[in-house]
Amino acid sequence: MRAPTTLPTLRRVALALLLTCAGASSASAQPAKPPAAKPAAKTDVGPAVQKLKSGDEAQIRAGLDDLRIVGPAAASAAPAVADILARGLSEPLAHQAIDTLGDLEASDGSAILAQYAQHRTVAIRRAAIKALTRTKGPAAATALRKALGDSDAQVRGNAAAGLGALKAKDAVPDLFAALDHKVNEAAASIGQLCNAEQCDQLAGKLGKLPFDVVTSGLEPVLFRPASDMSDDAKIKLLGRLRELGTGEANRFLKDVEKRLPKEASPRIRQAVEQAVKATTGGSQ
Amino acid sequence: MKTTTHKALGAALVLTSALVQGCASDPSRPKTFSTDWLDDGGRSISEVQARLRGARPSANVDLVVSVAGNDKIIGTPLGNGAQWTATHALDARPIIAGGVVVVSGGNEVAALDATSGKKLWARPTGGLPLLGAGDDGNVTALSLSRGAGSTLLIVGRDGSVKRQLETDKAIGDPEVVGGVVFVPWANQYVSALDAATGDEIGRVTIRDKVSRALAIGGTLYFGELAYIRFDDKIGQASRGGASRVAIPSRELPGTPRLLVPGTEKVPPVANARDRDRLFGRPSGDSTPLGIDSNRFYASYYRLIFGFESQRGHLAWVRTHAHDFIGGEAVGGGVVLCDDEGKIVVLDAQTGQVSMEKPIGEPIKSCVVHADSFQAPKPASPGPSLGQQITDAVTVREATLATAQRLLLRELATLEDDTATKTLIDIASDARSVPVLVADARAALATRRNGASHMLAALAKHYDYLHDVLRSPPVGPLADALAAMKDPNAAPLVAARLLDPQITDDDVKRAAAALALIGTDKEMPQLKQFFAMYRGTAPTDEVAVAVGSVGEAMLRINPKEARPLVEAAVKDSMTVAVARARLEALLAATPEKPAADKADKPADKPSADKPASEKPAAAKPAPAAKPAPAAKPATKK
Repeated sequence: MRAPTTLPTLRRVALALLLTCAGASSASAQPAKPPAAKPAAKTDVGPAVQKLKSGDEAQIRAGLDDLRIVGPAAASAAPAVADILARGLSEPLAHQAIDTLGDLEASDGSAILAQYAQHRTVAIRRAAIKALTRTKGPAAATALRKALGDSDAQVRGNAAAGLGALKAKDAVPDLFAALDHKVNEAAASIGQLCNAEQCDQLAGKLGKLPFDVVTSGLEPVLFRPASDMSDDAKIKLLGRLRELGTGEANRFLKDVEKRLPKEASPRIRQAVEQAVKATTGGSQ
Repeated sequence: MKTTTHKALGAALVLTSALVQGCASDPSRPKTFSTDWLDDGGRSISEVQARLRGARPSANVDLVVSVAGNDKIIGTPLGNGAQWTATHALDARPIIAGGVVVVSGGNEVAALDATSGKKLWARPTGGLPLLGAGDDGNVTALSLSRGAGSTLLIVGRDGSVKRQLETDKAIGDPEVVGGVVFVPWANQYVSALDAATGDEIGRVTIRDKVSRALAIGGTLYFGELAYIRFDDKIGQASRGGASRVAIPSRELPGTPRLLVPGTEKVPPVANARDRDRLFGRPSGDSTPLGIDSNRFYASYYRLIFGFESQRGHLAWVRTHAHDFIGGEAVGGGVVLCDDEGKIVVLDAQTGQVSMEKPIGEPIKSCVVHADSFQAPKPASPGPSLGQQITDAVTVREATLATAQRLLLRELATLEDDTATKTLIDIASDARSVPVLVADARAALATRRNGASHMLAALAKHYDYLHDVLRSPPVGPLADALAAMKDPNAAPLVAARLLDPQITDDDVKRAAAALALIGTDKEMPQLKQFFAMYRGTAPTDEVAVAVGSVGEAMLRINPKEARPLVEAAVKDSMTVAVARARLEALLAATPEKPAADKADKPADKPSADKPASEKPAAAKPAPAAKPAPAAKPATKK
């Protein structure tokens, strides 16, 4: 469905150098780094924006390519990209523009992406949801919450994952509803966002939902810093896993034990060790 | 459906004897089941009718006979009297024939007393299948299938065989009145045989297909597809002048039969045909012959319909808890039995239950015969027809779909808001049978009432998380609301226009409706749709919708919309179908020359903010005054 968006590699490199050099000459003195790794340096997006405004399909495609190469450093071009999407594009170009907004990671693109997250073509909805996860902002969270009710499983899954990435704590009740409707990606997001009570609610799903699904949410809880999740809450979760007493609980706990960070509190470390011992020899 | 003659038996026998004596020497009488007989214009049958006038079948049996288990026969009186049970091997459905219940199985045929179930007699059959039986209280006539031919057995009350006639003709279900056995055969004749001698003493040619002779409420009838009354007009039968009544032709659920052909062996266990039946009771002695209570009935699994018998209009429908597997029309109603073993009596006029009687256990089949039983009046008239149909069509059972489609068509004719709501509910429910959804959608588009239900439905939308797995029927609702010019419809239709979960057809129809009823308040959604889909319309239907939205925008706000539409036409990214429609639209709606000229059309669509971010214009909608551009676009 998508139009070819690739350019010859040399041309891509050259364009990237040109765009970054034009706006930030001092940057040329710095050691070479991949553009995406840099903080969002100022970039002259003028030429690319001019292409977007040309009204010519090929020019627009080239302009979008230029911006994608630069990435977040070209965030100031996001309104221009949003503008061409708002005017209307062919499907391949719409797809490319949506991806570009995602690459620019600017919240200016969220509003138009939210509209395209309701497009009739499911591939466009999927792309818009992915892009919204990167553009962030209130409009993104609202659109992702809405997308949890989409008819497409992939849209729902991406939306659930995106809400975790967006730290949309208000969305936790919706994520629980999604989890109950087999949107398994919601578990991990709940694990990232839940408060102690909600995390315990997630642990309560053990035995009701597939073990792997629930632990995909419990794992991030156990690795959240103490400032974000208390040891008491974590120990409560470990107790739930320990009570399960199964082989898969044991394997999960062993894995957690291996990966516990050095800064993990002695209480947590001890609780994990005891849980591992208690579940050793558990049923499969 | 068989009855017997208990009265005037002595007189009848005398009459029969006289008949036989009179006929024996008459060379013009037909030879039994002969095919070289020339129609006598009704002379012979009229003579039989005249001579039997004092020997009408008596009305004395009101009984339900059920089959349970493998060989258990249960007799349940409709009136007073105790239920009885009997045991006999069964290879055919029991037959209620006058005062006896005839059962067949185990290479014998037996007669049970209809009031007690006591076995009166049994005769070996050599395994010949029982087809029909008639009884006048003195003798019982049995028709048995014998390959391509038949055997007619006339058995006395003591079990002795009075006559055994073998024929190569296919004979149907016989009836006995006053010692005369009436035997339908070859689908067109009814021969009157002297029970004592076996001689044929009269014959009539029937213009309808005929395979059954049966006594109902003390009157003798012939028929299969219609009832032909054995009265003083029977002699005119061959010329179509007999007293006749049939069920009016109309669409019915399935292909129900009024009477099972008398040449067909009926199995002891009910099958699908028993769940799809037609019932109607001839009106007895009344002239002209009609249908009792002006009602006929059709059962379809657990639905039962009551129809007005003159024109066939639906009067009521009742949804029962279990499948009906047998029944019969009675005076003032219909008696039915279900497979769980319950007998229900429904009132002819309302379809309400007027009496119930438990058989006591699940049953496999049942037969009903009622001579004098009258359905009691129900306690209440019951719900409206619309509600009755709603109850029936919202049962989610695939087996009922055929009947439910019929009911939906009936529902669509009712000028009732609740009918609209029912149609919406069916079309919106993901569990509805697909054919019903299609029918409900078609019916909804033509509704002109129930707007409040339509608006409420449009406010709902697909929501996976809340188990709303089907969008409302946006297209048909938009059609109907636009036709009704409902002022509250436009914003709701516009909101649904951007809903990705509605069908492409719904999008097309919603856009077409907005072309008629959209206002300035809907411009943000219209512009958003136009921009989003002019280049990305995934189907021709959505592309057509883009054209309709363009039409709506030009009608509502030509000054703002024309540059957008013109730019879209020029843009190669606009999909071909949409562009063609927009071109036609522009051609049909010439630009205003005056002040509007000052606004230079943009080369590209304006860079307006997305609809969701831009509040609607506060000025009154130009749509209030019809613009010259309001001509419909040329359809392509």
